Order: sequence, then C-alpha cells, then structure tokens
Amino acid sequence: MKSPDNNTSGDVQAVSAWHRSAVATALVGAVFSVIVLALIVGNYIRGRVHETRWEKKLENLRIEISNQPDDEQALLEEIRRLDLEFRRAMFRVLDFSRTGSYLLLASLSVFVIGIKWAGTFKEKMPAPQPQQGAASEQIRQAMLARWSVAAALGLAGAVMLFLAIGPRIDFRATDAAADSYPTPEKISRNWHRFRGPEGAGISADVNMPESWDGKSGKGILWKTKVPVAGHNSPVVWGDRLFLSGGDPNRLNVFCFDALSGELLWTGDVKRAPLKPNEEPVEVMEDTGWAAPTVTTDGKRVFAIFVTGDLACFDFSGRSFWSKNLGTPDNVYGYASSLEMYRNLLLIQYDQGDTESEKSKLIALDGFSGRVVWQAKRPVANSWSTPIVARTDSGPQIITAADPWVIAYEPNSGAEIWRAECLAGDVAPTPIYANGLTFVIEPYSKTVAIRTDGKGDVTKTHIAWSLDEPAPDICSPIGNGEFVFILNSDGLALCFKAADGEKLWEEDIGEGRDSFLASPSLVGDKLYLLTEKGIMIIAEVLPKYNELARCELGEECCASPAFVDGRIYIRGVENLYCIGKEETTQEP
Amino acid sequence: MIRFGHIIIATAVVVNLCAVVSGRHGLPARENTAKIAAPQRFPPPEFESGYDLPPSPAAPHPRQSIYEYIDVAVLLAALILASYLVLKMRSRRAIFVLMVFSLVYFGFWRKGCVCPIGAIQNIVLSIFDRDYAVPITVSAFFLLPLIFTLFFGRVFCSAVCPLGAIQDLVLLRPVSVPDWLASGLRVFAYLYLGLAVLFAATGSAFLICRYDPFVSFFRLSGNLNILIIGACFLVVGLFIGRPYCRFFCPYGVILRQLSRLSRWRVTITPDECIGCRLCEDACPFGAIRKPADEWSATEYVRGKKTLALLILLLPVLILFCGWAGARFKNVTSRMHSTVRLAERIYLEEAGEVEGTTDASLAFRATGREVKDLYEEASGVRGQFAIGGWLLGGFMGLVIGVKLTAVSVWRQRTDYEADRAGCLACGRCFKHCPRERLRLSKKDKAIS
Repeated sequence: MKSPDNNTSGDVQAVSAWHRSAVATALVGAVFSVIVLALIVGNYIRGRVHETRWEKKLENLRIEISNQPDDEQALLEEIRRLDLEFRRAMFRVLDFSRTGSYLLLASLSVFVIGIKWAGTFKEKMPAPQPQQGAASEQIRQAMLARWSVAAALGLAGAVMLFLAIGPRIDFRATDAAADSYPTPEKISRNWHRFRGPEGAGISADVNMPESWDGKSGKGILWKTKVPVAGHNSPVVWGDRLFLSGGDPNRLNVFCFDALSGELLWTGDVKRAPLKPNEEPVEVMEDTGWAAPTVTTDGKRVFAIFVTGDLACFDFSGRSFWSKNLGTPDNVYGYASSLEMYRNLLLIQYDQGDTESEKSKLIALDGFSGRVVWQAKRPVANSWSTPIVARTDSGPQIITAADPWVIAYEPNSGAEIWRAECLAGDVAPTPIYANGLTFVIEPYSKTVAIRTDGKGDVTKTHIAWSLDEPAPDICSPIGNGEFVFILNSDGLALCFKAADGEKLWEEDIGEGRDSFLASPSLVGDKLYLLTEKGIMIIAEVLPKYNELARCELGEECCASPAFVDGRIYIRGVENLYCIGKEETTQEP
Repeated sequence: MIRFGHIIIATAVVVNLCAVVSGRHGLPARENTAKIAAPQRFPPPEFESGYDLPPSPAAPHPRQSIYEYIDVAVLLAALILASYLVLKMRSRRAIFVLMVFSLVYFGFWRKGCVCPIGAIQNIVLSIFDRDYAVPITVSAFFLLPLIFTLFFGRVFCSAVCPLGAIQDLVLLRPVSVPDWLASGLRVFAYLYLGLAVLFAATGSAFLICRYDPFVSFFRLSGNLNILIIGACFLVVGLFIGRPYCRFFCPYGVILRQLSRLSRWRVTITPDECIGCRLCEDACPFGAIRKPADEWSATEYVRGKKTLALLILLLPVLILFCGWAGARFKNVTSRMHSTVRLAERIYLEEAGEVEGTTDASLAFRATGREVKDLYEEASGVRGQFAIGGWLLGGFMGLVIGVKLTAVSVWRQRTDYEADRAGCLACGRCFKHCPRERLRLSKKDKAIS
C-alpha cells in the first residue's frame, strides 16, 4: 500500500483499489452491525414483554395469597415454579444479549477501522479561505459568546424551575410533622373504636346531655337514615363519624359529617369470591353482616365483616387496601371489633373450638394491610374485642376467650401472660383499671386479674373471681373504684374493684327492658341504653340511683359514642346525634 | 522560585491528604479484602437442602488489591508515554495507538472503573464523611492526571482517558462548533462538576458514575437509558469532536484550569509560526487560536466599558446565583435517599399517591416514627441549602468570569493551541510545514 502523500500517476489505480477495499470493509461492518443491533433490540423487547407478563402473574398470585390464606402453600409452590421458569427465560435472553454485544463490538470495530482507513485515501488538503476583518470578527464572537453563556445559565435555571414544579413539601410544617399514628391524647379526645378509648366506655367529656326526647325531637341535633343495617357502634374522629353496614348483596362503610349528619361517602367493600367447594357464609339475623365496629387511626378507617372481608379507606373515602382473612368458622357469626395500636390494626380472629387451632390474633400494618405479626391462640371462637391497656409495665393487648385470657406485647405479638378462667361463648370485652383487668364468663362469673404477671398466671394473679350472674353480651364498666356489670335482662351488679366485694344489686330492667348495648360512664353517671332505645341515666355510687330516662323512639343494639358534648346513638334504622343546644328536629 | 503551578500541585496534594486523614485512608490490604467478603446487607436464606448460593454478581467484579496497584502503574506508564509522544515525539499515529490501548485496557478490560473522573466523588465524600475511606489507588487515579497536566498539558485526555478515546475513534466527519457556542456549552461541564461535588459531599449519589454515558459500552451491559445517552453522544461524536469531553466532563473542567498553568504544552509548530494558515482548520475540537488584530479606538473604548460593567456584575451574579441555588434545595435534595423516602411517605400519608413502594414499605416495617424521618429529611435539606449557596455562588463566579474572559481583547500574532482547550491529540502537527520540514530533516539525518 502506498501512502496517499506519495501518490504518483502510476499509483492512482492501486490507491483506488485500496480505498474501495476499505470502503467495502466499512460497509460490511456497518451492515453486520445493523443486523446484530436489530437482533439485540428484538431480544430485549422479547425479554421485557416476558418480564411484564411474569410480573403480572406474580402480582396476581400475591393477591391470591392474601385473599386465600388457606391455599398459601400451593400458591407459594406456583410462585416458585414461575420464578424458575422466568429465571431460565431471562438467562437465555441475557446470554443472547451478551453474545450479541460481543458481535456488535467486533463489527463496529471493523466498521470504524474500515472508515478510518478509507479516510486516509481521501484526506483533504488544507485550503484556508481569504481572511477579512479579524478584529470585527473577534468582537462579534465575543458578543455572541456572552449571549451564549447567558443562555446556558438561563437554560439551567429553566430546567431547575421545571424540576421544581410539583407539590412543595415542607417537612417542618405542623401537619407534615404530625405523628404517623395518633397520640394517646388525641385518642382520648375522640371515640376511635368500640366503646371508645381503651374500650372502657368512659367519656372524656363529662358535660353530656341528660335530657332528650326522640318523639318531640327535643335535644336531637340531627337524625339521619343509615342506608344499610348493621349492629356495629358509631366511631367518631373529629368531625367524621363512621359506621358499617351489610346485607347479602353489599358490604359498606359509611362516613357521616358528625356536625350535620350528612352522609359524606359510602365505601364499597368487595367480597372475596368463594373458593371451590366452599359453603357460602350463613349469617344469623341477631349477628348480621356487619356486627364488628370499625376503628380509625385518625387518617384511615378500617372495617371487618362477618365474611372475613377487611377494608381500609382514607377519610375521603378512597379505598386504600382490602383483603379477606378467610371465612371465619364461628357459630353465631364473626362479631369481634377492631382495635388499633399505633400503626397496627389488631384483629382477634377466634374460630372453631379449642382443639382446632384456628384462632389467632393478627396485627396488620394499618397503612399497607401487610401482616406484621400474628399469634396463634389456643381458644375457641369468641365475640369479644381486644383492648390495649396502658399498664404500669407497658402496653398490653388483652384478649378474652374460652378458656384463656391472654395478654400480648403489642409490637411483637409475644405472649406476656395467660390465665385459664373463662368458658362458654365469650362476648363481653375486657376492661382495665388500676392494674387489674376485668373479664366476664357469660351468665356465671366475673374475674379480676392482675396484669403484672408472666407466663401462666392462673394460680398466681387472679385477684378475685365472683360467681354471680354475669352478662352474655354487655361489657363491664369501671373506673378503678368499682366494676359495674349489666345483664341482658336488666339485672345490674356493682362490685368494689379492689376485692370484688358486692356493693349493690339492682333489677333495672324490671321485666320491661332488656339490654344489648354496653354501659357507658360519664363522670360519675351511668348511661344505660335499653334495647327499646331508652337511655337510663343513673348514679352508680354509693348505690344505684336513677336520675332520668330519655326515649329515642327507636330500637337500639349498638353502644353509643360520647364525644365533645354530644352523644351519637345508632338505632336499627337511624343515626342520632344528641346535644345540649336548644334545637329540635322533626322526629 | 515558587511557581504558581507548584502552589496548585501543593493544593491538590493537601486536598488528598485531607481525604486521607478524614477518611481513615490506607486500609491494609487484608482489610480491603475483608470488606469485599463482608456480610451482605440482606443475608441470604440458609437452605436446608444444602444448596450453595452462588456469589452475587457485581460489575465490575471486586479485584484483589495487587491488580489495583497494577492499574495505577499502567496509568502512570501511559501518562509518561503520552507526555513523551505528545511533546517530544509529536506523533499522532503513536498517540492513536496508545489511545486504542487505553480504550481496551481502562475501558473494556477494566470496565471503566476506577477512572479519575469518578474519583472526584470519592475524594469529596471522604472529606465530608469521616466514615468513608478512600483507597490509595483511587487517590492516585485522581491525582496523577492532575500532576501530569500541570507539567505537560492535557496528556491524560489525549491518549489515556478511555472516555475520550472512544469518542475520538468515532469522529469521522468533523464539524466545527463556533467558539461562541462552545463557550456557552462549556457552562454545563461546570454545572455538572458542581452538582457532582454537592451530591457526593452530602452522601446522596455518585452522579458522575451513575450517568457515565460510556460505561455501559465498556461493560457490554447496563441501563437502557444510559445506553441510549451513550449512543447519542457517539452519534453526535461522529461529527462533533469529543462532545462529552468538551462540554460535560467534570474532570475536564479541572484539567482545563490546570492546563493553563502547565510547564510544557503542545505547540502546533515545532519552532516558529510562519503564519501560513494551513493549520487553521486542523483541530476538530476548536482549540486553535488565530492571530488577533488590534481593535479600533472606538471598539476598544466600548469594549472597556463592557468589561468594566461585567466586572461589576460579578459579585451580583455570585450572590444571585447563590441565593437561587439555595432556593432550589427542595429539587437538589431529592437526590438524597432520605429526602426521597420522606417525600414518598408524606405523599402516601396525605393520600396524594396511590399504593406503596418497596422503600416506603420497608420503612414502615421498621416501626420508626414518620416525624423522625421528616426531621432527618429536613436536616438533609438544610445541608442542601448551604450546598445550594456554594454551588450557586460557584456557578455565578463561573458565568461572571466567562463573560469577562470572552470580552477581553487578547493580542496574538501566531497560531497557537489553546492552553485550556487543547486535548493534545496531535492532529495539528502534520498540517504545519515547519513540522514536515523537521520530520524530513530527521529522516535525512537517520538515513
């Protein structure tokens, strides 16, 4: 090969041949590169399509697992099989891509060598153009350069401004720095679960109405029809009131304006499809489709239904998540209400009998619905609601069922203590006061247990146990000084909390009234709601002294909520707000 | 006598020493090895079936320390050779061969890591984070090209940098970029350097490594977006010489300034310029400065006024850009994982986004208070506010100095290689008749 610098007329043809060879080499390299690149791109697209399809399948299986926990093992096996299949496919794609990359690199090298080589035969000789006005050109260039630099700065600023578009989040602002879960102070100002803070049924506000009449509308601030029935109780947070309702066709969560009674939104909860060979759930009329009371953490509301369907909505009614825990094996239908501890949603999911090992206490992350922990419980199906008691030794989740009363550590679900002291169909919710938790065995027994024990405390920490008539539905109430229990037929008993000494016994029902709603305490006054909708207001100490009877004019099963000088009562059809303002509403 | 260049070298060495001291530099080799074999962040499951988990893939693979020292030795040898080829031998062909070697060794063989460009971030992070130890080899990769630039000009760019080499190879049909446009485009390199330092100092990200456009080619695999960016640079590079090096390379920014002070540097002609203008279009990187005529008296007066105005504008620009940089702290701080997570959690809590991310779920699983996260994120934003002032001030200074520099009249009688912009590629040599004369004399002398 001759150097182009030394071309003579005789060498032109030879140089031309070399040039053609170089161009041909470059061309071959280019064509091969394009083919290989096309194959690599095709392979990549194939891989992405495969990956997307696989991700969708995996996501469906994940949803299936949360909806069908009983089939978890089979679904996990399916996931593993799919995963193996996917990995094999992906490795094939990667191998193809790697081989293609080497080929592409080689072919591009050939192309570059060819084109560079060809360039050496066609090098242009420098041919400077006539030069005029160097000074003016320099001035022009300087001016343009200044504009160019300024434009670059402007462009950078514009890009930053574009990136700054969007919500401005100030972490130091009050709202943003709020706790992710409500503080005990906030909880105490609201009524966030069945029977309010700690499930105690005690109103923080002692300035509650003591006189109203549903027929005349006196003292009734508003009355709103509840679209779908349910035996659950109202829950109030700020100016929002929540209820749930259900029938064979629908499961709903309702949000009302607590100030006006306006129905703000209705959340639909999708029922999980039945599994093959699964019997449809049979719901007893007394229990209904929506017996469990909802709960809220101040930002979201959670609801569970007799079918095991669980749902979370935010305060605007947007569905956050939903899942099905499996149809509960429960003779009267699932009725335990929900409880919150910090970000954890606590579900006492007791099923079957003591031997069936189906019962468990589940803690879900309230935000995502993810299971944080779950503890198996050696108990039979129950209808009681767990409470989180603030004991001297720290918070404890206290649960009551047949035969064990068990306390758990809320963060981990570790069992703290257990006492074997109950039997039968346990529905009343435990209460806690002054280092004692009070639980009820239906019809026969009230038990007080010290909460500072560890392990099995049956023989060591039962403070007292009284074999006296006890309620099968209504939960007890107490303030550390006394414990008051109310049987469904109206037989009321009051004990000294410290030693169980009976202070008095009174037949409040007198054969006329029966009770399903649990009693509440406002200051030193009891509020007892009969099934007929009559609220009996009475002094509890030193002896029972009835102060007033207020008729609502509608039957009631749910326990009322007491918030900010108002009483919210759910009748079988309507929701009532009772306040002290001298306003009346048409009955 | 102490030269200004010596002061610069001393400064660079002091910066490295700071990095060494603050970052517990110089871990023994076995400690480095132990780091490679350290427990994984997420321990793998223990299989009951006896299945042995294959080692986690990593690109590039961790190497034994001895190879890192070999890399440094190769870098040093390549820099010495490049200096010789550029300044003494003045052979474009030899420079080209060395460039191809560097591309193969530092690029495809070493997978583009460690490179001096990315090493900026290691050095910066080790200064600001006492728990971050920068290996001595990384320090060497950062320092050696700087030292060589101070003595011999940008010989690292000419034949040692694999990023420069791959762009140089694909340059087929050079199109000259007007000087005024190049001046504006070079601002982005300063901005890139400033952002890279800010993100490294705050422990947010190694921006240069994350957006290295050519590393995917060197590793024959990588993120599709980066591959596309790299391909774009190469396509543009077919016509515009080394676009990344000239307009984006953050290390190039430092090298430009050091090259202005270099003891020896590339000259187009081996002895004297005869003003033949044959080299005028020889440089595809626009790094040949033409002789400049004297301005007329009117233009001179007007130029002086403009210059005075721009000099007065300089502190205003610095303050304004610093203020603006601090205002953008919410944008820049998003590069930090804590701020990103806090913003995501905030949006989730406020119900402004649907669903969760792996990061937000993982955070919630820790049971940590959200307000703690917010406080931490606010603290990070505070760092970015200070960093924004510094970055903005730096950019204001750059813009101000650039505006001033382009407005200064410089008398020039010969064709010269631009001190800062010359990449020492050696393309201009053969265009000079004096060089051809020198070579023919040399050939005759040999024969």
